Amino acid sequence: MFYELIIIGGGPAGVAAGVYAARKKIKTLLIAKEFGGQSMVSADVQNWIGTKSISGFELAQMLEGHVRAQEDIEVLSDELVTTISSDTAKFVVGTEGGKQFESKTLLLTSGSRRRKLGIPGEKEFDGRGVVYCSTCDAPIFKGKEVAVIGGGNAGLEAARDLLPYASKIYLLHRGDTLKGDPLTQEKITADSKVSVILNAQTKEIFGTAFVEGIRYIDSVSGEQRELKLDGIFVEIGSLPNSDFVKNLAALNERGEVIVDHKTQRASLLGVWAAGDVTDVLYKQNNISAGDAVKAVLNIYDYLHSGK
Amino acid sequence: MKKVIIYTTPSCVYCKMAKEFFKTHTVPYEEHDVYADDAAREEMIQKSHQLGVPVIDIEGEIFVGFNQREMAKTLGISS
Repeated sequence: MFYELIIIGGGPAGVAAGVYAARKKIKTLLIAKEFGGQSMVSADVQNWIGTKSISGFELAQMLEGHVRAQEDIEVLSDELVTTISSDTAKFVVGTEGGKQFESKTLLLTSGSRRRKLGIPGEKEFDGRGVVYCSTCDAPIFKGKEVAVIGGGNAGLEAARDLLPYASKIYLLHRGDTLKGDPLTQEKITADSKVSVILNAQTKEIFGTAFVEGIRYIDSVSGEQRELKLDGIFVEIGSLPNSDFVKNLAALNERGEVIVDHKTQRASLLGVWAAGDVTDVLYKQNNISAGDAVKAVLNIYDYLHSGK
Repeated sequence: MKKVIIYTTPSCVYCKMAKEFFKTHTVPYEEHDVYADDAAREEMIQKSHQLGVPVIDIEGEIFVGFNQREMAKTLGISS
């Protein structure tokens, strides 16, 4: 089977692209591990335009339902793309499940994933007190002492998720001021349960069967400190899912696919990208969807005019 | 049909996905909310040696997280 277009990813960008590609009658395959993108684990999304409030889970279902309702598209879900190769005539996309597909053009909407601390103990205690999904796991830490690592929006939101449950929340941030939304900052720092620790360079997570604490360096005094903890919530940003194109298309120093923001074209002819995998300045669901639409309209022109 | 127990929290999305999967394939399951029920929390930790949800127990076989393909295979569901 030879496709005109393969879309990789099932977040807002991938789904928007799928809907537009189907309506343009572009012979398309959409491959997605899952639908909804990173918002899927959000308790409440209040800025998806046209929807006052929706859970990430419902948003994911709506997105999946919209693309599956299109007649002129093939959708392959629960399948992760692991390899992409190219020759002059086509791209070959390989999946974790050992399947291969060929196409004339590619649209990368593979999004991003959680950044990890990369310190001793993080891997060993993953799931044993080290947590990457605060919405999911915050209630498990009822009455427990926890730390949130990261002072951006994700860190603040994790602290907010923990407020009803944890008995004590340390918010550790590398910099000398918190970065996230001022309103959320106000809300969480007003709670006596929360202690903000600035200039904290995390060094090591320790424990036996489960997490027992963290060691960090106060980068102002240079002193090493220790906190006794039951849980550590890591919220230090994201990394683009671009590994499979690193030998095909130009990436910036953060690993994001560099695109022409007028057309969403990547550096290699025949490859487009949209959403959080790209060097777009603002990572937002609505922007991802819009950029993916731009990409599909440009792919349509390319398929029909050869340019 | 194999006996299925799922350990959840009220806010966990992957728990909801797992439960929807069971409903779609008419698999009866027993749900324990580890937030509301401390004994269930301990039981989950003993079974899975970890603290994340969902944990799914299918007749003693323990799964951490929800992987649709793995579940389908274990329960003999063709999807």
